[in-house]
Amino acid sequence: MATVPSISETISQFKRKDITVEEHTAKALDEAKKLNQDYFYYNVISEDLALDQARALDKKAAKQGIQESREKLFGIPLAVKDSICVKGIESSAGSRMLKGYFPVFNATVVQRAMNQGCVVIGKTAQDEFGFGAFSVNVGLGFAIPRNPFDKQRTTGGSSGGGVGITQKTGYAYASFVESTGGSIVEPASFCSVAGICPTYGRLSRYGLIDFSNSMDKIGTAAKTIQDAALLLEASAGHDNRDSTSSASPVPQYTSFVGKPVRGMRVGIIKEAFGEGVDPGVAASVRKGIEWLEQQGAQCDEVSLELPIKYGIPTYYLLGTSEASTNLAKYCGMRYGAADPLEGNFNSYFTKVRSHHFSEEVKRRIMLGTFARMAGFRDAYYLKAAKVREKMLQEYKHLFSTYDALVSPTVAIQPPTFSEIEKLTPLQHYMMDMLCVGPNITGLPHLNVPLPFSKGLPVGMMLIGDHFQESKLIQLGSAVEEQAMKHKAIQQ
Amino acid sequence: MAKQFTTPVVIGLEVHVELDTETKLFCSCSRRSAEGEQPNTRCCEVCLGMPGSKPVLNKKAIEYALRLCLAFACDIDQELIFSRKSYFYPDLAKNFQISQFERPLGKHGKISLSDGSTIGITRIHLEEDPASLVHESKYVLVDYNRSGNPLCEIVTEPDMESPEQAREFMKKLNTILGYLAVFHHQHCVIKADANVSIKESGYVRSEIKNVTGFKEIERALFYEVVRQKRAIADGETLVQDTRGWNAEKGTTYRMRTKETEADYGYILDADLVPIDITEEMVSKVLHSMPELAEAKKKKFIEKHHIAELDAEVLSQEKKLAELFERVAEQINPILAAKWLRRELVRVMNYNKQTFDDLAIDETHMIELLSMVEKKEITDQVAQKILEELIVKPFSPKEHVREKGLQAVSDTGELEKACKQVVFENPSVVKEFKSGNEKSFQFLVGQVMRKTQGKADPRMVNELLKKLL
Repeated sequence: MATVPSISETISQFKRKDITVEEHTAKALDEAKKLNQDYFYYNVISEDLALDQARALDKKAAKQGIQESREKLFGIPLAVKDSICVKGIESSAGSRMLKGYFPVFNATVVQRAMNQGCVVIGKTAQDEFGFGAFSVNVGLGFAIPRNPFDKQRTTGGSSGGGVGITQKTGYAYASFVESTGGSIVEPASFCSVAGICPTYGRLSRYGLIDFSNSMDKIGTAAKTIQDAALLLEASAGHDNRDSTSSASPVPQYTSFVGKPVRGMRVGIIKEAFGEGVDPGVAASVRKGIEWLEQQGAQCDEVSLELPIKYGIPTYYLLGTSEASTNLAKYCGMRYGAADPLEGNFNSYFTKVRSHHFSEEVKRRIMLGTFARMAGFRDAYYLKAAKVREKMLQEYKHLFSTYDALVSPTVAIQPPTFSEIEKLTPLQHYMMDMLCVGPNITGLPHLNVPLPFSKGLPVGMMLIGDHFQESKLIQLGSAVEEQAMKHKAIQQ
Repeated sequence: MAKQFTTPVVIGLEVHVELDTETKLFCSCSRRSAEGEQPNTRCCEVCLGMPGSKPVLNKKAIEYALRLCLAFACDIDQELIFSRKSYFYPDLAKNFQISQFERPLGKHGKISLSDGSTIGITRIHLEEDPASLVHESKYVLVDYNRSGNPLCEIVTEPDMESPEQAREFMKKLNTILGYLAVFHHQHCVIKADANVSIKESGYVRSEIKNVTGFKEIERALFYEVVRQKRAIADGETLVQDTRGWNAEKGTTYRMRTKETEADYGYILDADLVPIDITEEMVSKVLHSMPELAEAKKKKFIEKHHIAELDAEVLSQEKKLAELFERVAEQINPILAAKWLRRELVRVMNYNKQTFDDLAIDETHMIELLSMVEKKEITDQVAQKILEELIVKPFSPKEHVREKGLQAVSDTGELEKACKQVVFENPSVVKEFKSGNEKSFQFLVGQVMRKTQGKADPRMVNELLKKLL
C-alpha cells in the first residue's frame, strides 16, 4: 500500500494546485461509497454537502489566491460520528428512532472544523446511541462496520465506523469520534489508528446526541497523532452553548509532537498487565514502554485499584441512569421515527419506543431507570457518584508524581463476530475495563497504535491529568515514531 | 402526620411564579409572547429538546429567584444545582423537567401575617415551564412557545388555618412580587396547587391542581373548604384526592384518588454545571433590593405618624408607597396619606387604572396637595383636578390660575351668592322653613354650583343659616 499523505501534505497538494478540493473530495466520496459496500463505515454519505463545501473552498481559494488560505484543515475530508449533529444531514446516533432527524444546527465542533476548511464526507457507524464496545449493537436496519484488517472481526465500538474509515482510507482524513466509557481508544486500538479522547469539557458537546452527559466527550481520530492533534486544536475551546465546556486556553497541541520525552515520568499500571490480558498484547505494550525508556522517560510500576475494580459497575450505573433520562425524549412526537397516531399519549409512545429501540437500548433504559428509582437511588446512583470521586482522588494522587499512566488500551485483540455472539452482556461490558477509569473521571487518554501481534492491531493507552493532552501527545508521538520505524523494518 | 394539626382548616400552597425575564430559562428565546403570536414560533432547538441541544442557564433568573428567597428570609444554598424530574407527559419537550430537588435555592423561609401568625416557607426553587396543551379537535395539540419559561416555585408549610389567611398570604406575595420587580402582573402567570383539609374529616387532604391567577386561587380555596364541610355535614366520608378547578363554574372536581407517590427518578442534570452562590452575590442582590412593604409600613407609622390602616394600604403598592414618601416630604403626611390612600385610589379604580400604568407626576401631586393644604382650593376642586390629572399630566397650579378655581374666601362675594340663591328658590326656602332638612342641602349645592365648587362648604353652611 502506497503511503498515505498527511493532512499537511494534502494541503500542500492543494497549494501546489496538483489537485482541486473538489476533485479530491469527489475521490474521497467515491472511496467512501465503495468501501461502504463491504465495510459499512458510513450511515450517511453527505455527497451534496461535501461537494458544495469543496466548491466553496476552491472558489474562495481562486479569489484570494490559494497561498493565502490559512485554514488548518483546508479541504480535508471529515468523518463525523453519527451522534454528532451536522446541519441538514440525517443524524441518528445509529438508531432507527432518529431516522429522519435532520438537525437544524451544526455541533459546535463540526462548525469549527468547517471553519478550518473541513469537508464533511458523512456520518459514521456506531453502536446505537453509543451503547456497545464492538459496533454490533447498531440500531434496527443499520449495518455493522467491519474491521479494516479482517472483515470477520469487529472494529470495536462504539465509534467503529469513524476509526474504520480512518484506517482504511487512502486519503488524509480527520474524524470526529465520541467516547463515554472508552468508545474512542478501544476501537482506535482495534483498528490501529491514533485516537484522542480529551479532558471532559475540552471540546464542546453542543450538538452531541447525549448518552451520558457527565461522561460524554467528543474526540478525534486520524492516521497519526499529529493529524488527530491538529483536529483537536482546531475544534477545542470554550463554547457558550455548552456550560460544561472549559474556558482554559487551548495549547498548540501539534507543537508537542516529537518533543523530547527525556525526564518525563510514566506510571505503568500494574493491574492492567495481569490475568485476562492477551500475552501478545502485553508484550507489544511492554515494547512500547521500552521505547519510552530508551528515550529517557522514567517508567515505574504503579498500582491503580479502584478504577480497575469498580470502574465497570460505576460506569454502568452512572451511564445508564443518565442515558435513561436522555432517551426519554424519544417518543415519536417531534422528530425522528413516528407511528400512526392511535390511542392516548402513553400507549402511543410506548408503542413507538418498543418498536424503534433495539434490545440493548431497552436494557440500558431499564437498568438506568431502576438505578435512579426512589429507594434505590442511594444504593446505586448516588453511591456510584461517590465512587467516581474516590477514583479521581486515586488518579490525582498518581498525577502528583507522574506525567502519564500507561496500559494496554484493551486486554485483547479484535474478536470475530462469532466470538462476540457468545459473549454475555456482562462479558461485553467488561471489554472497557481498562479504559472506563479515565472516562468516568474525565481524564484525557490516547491510543497509540503499536506493532501488530499475530497479524492484528494492538494499542497502548496513555492517560493524563485533566487538560494535559499535550503531555500525552508528546509521549504518544515518541512511541508512534518507533512503532512506524518498526513497521517499516518489518515490511 | 395529620395528627399534629389542631386548627379547623389546614392549607398549604405551592405557588409557581413566572419570572419577568427577557429570555427563557435555558435558551435565548424571548420569554414574552408577542401580540397575535402563532403557536410554535417562539422556540428553538433547546426549548424543543432537539437531540444535541444543551441548556444554558439564564443568569437573570438566578438574581430574580435570589430576590424572592431573600424577601421570604430563606436560607440560601451555596450552590445552585439542577436536577431532572422524569415523567412522560406530552407537554414536556424532553419528558423530563429541569428543576431542583435535593437542594433548592432557598429553604426555611417565613412570612408574617397581620394576625401575628407566621407562615413557613419550605422551599423556593427554579424550574422550567412545560409547553401548553391545546385541546382542539380530536387531538391534543402542543404549543412550545411557553416551553422553558422560568418559574420560581414557592412551597409553604401547611401553616394556613383559613382561606382568609391564605388570601392574605397571596396578597403579601403579590405585594412582594410587585416590589421586587420580578413579576409582571399582565405578562406573567401565577399558578398554585393547594392542599386543603379540615378538622372534621381528620385532615383528609385534597390537592387542588393548577389554579391560575390570584383571584382564582382565593376562590378555589374558599370553595374547597365549604365543599369539604358540607360533605361532612351530609354524612359523607372524605378520601384523599387530587382535584381540578373549574373557573367557569367556580367549583373543584375530582381528577383522581389514591395518589400513589410519584417516582420522578431525580438525577442531577450534568449539562448544567453547579453555580456557586457566593456571599458577595447574595449581598449584591440584597443591596439592589428595594425596601419592602413591611419596612415601609413601619416607617410610615413611626416617621410620619399616619394611621396604621393608611400605612398598610399605602405600602402595598410600591409606586404608591414611593409617591407617598416623596409627597410627605413637602406636605403634611396625614393630609398626604388621606389624599393618596382614599382619593387617588378611588379615582384610579374609577378609571380602571393599575399602579403598573400609573403615570402621575409627583411634582403635580405635590402642587395639588399643597394648594389643598393652604386651603387655596377646596377639596371638591382638588378632586376634580385629580380626576383629570390621572388621564394626562398638567400643572395643577397653572390650571387653577387659568380657570380661576381659587377658593372663594371673600365673605362679601359668598354672601352675595347665597342671597341670590335664596332669592331664586323661594319654594325651597319655604320647604326648609317647614322643617325639611334636605332642602337646605339643595341650597348649599346651588351655591357651590354658582361658585364652581370654589366655595368652602362650611362657610356656605354658616352664611345660609344666618340668612334664613
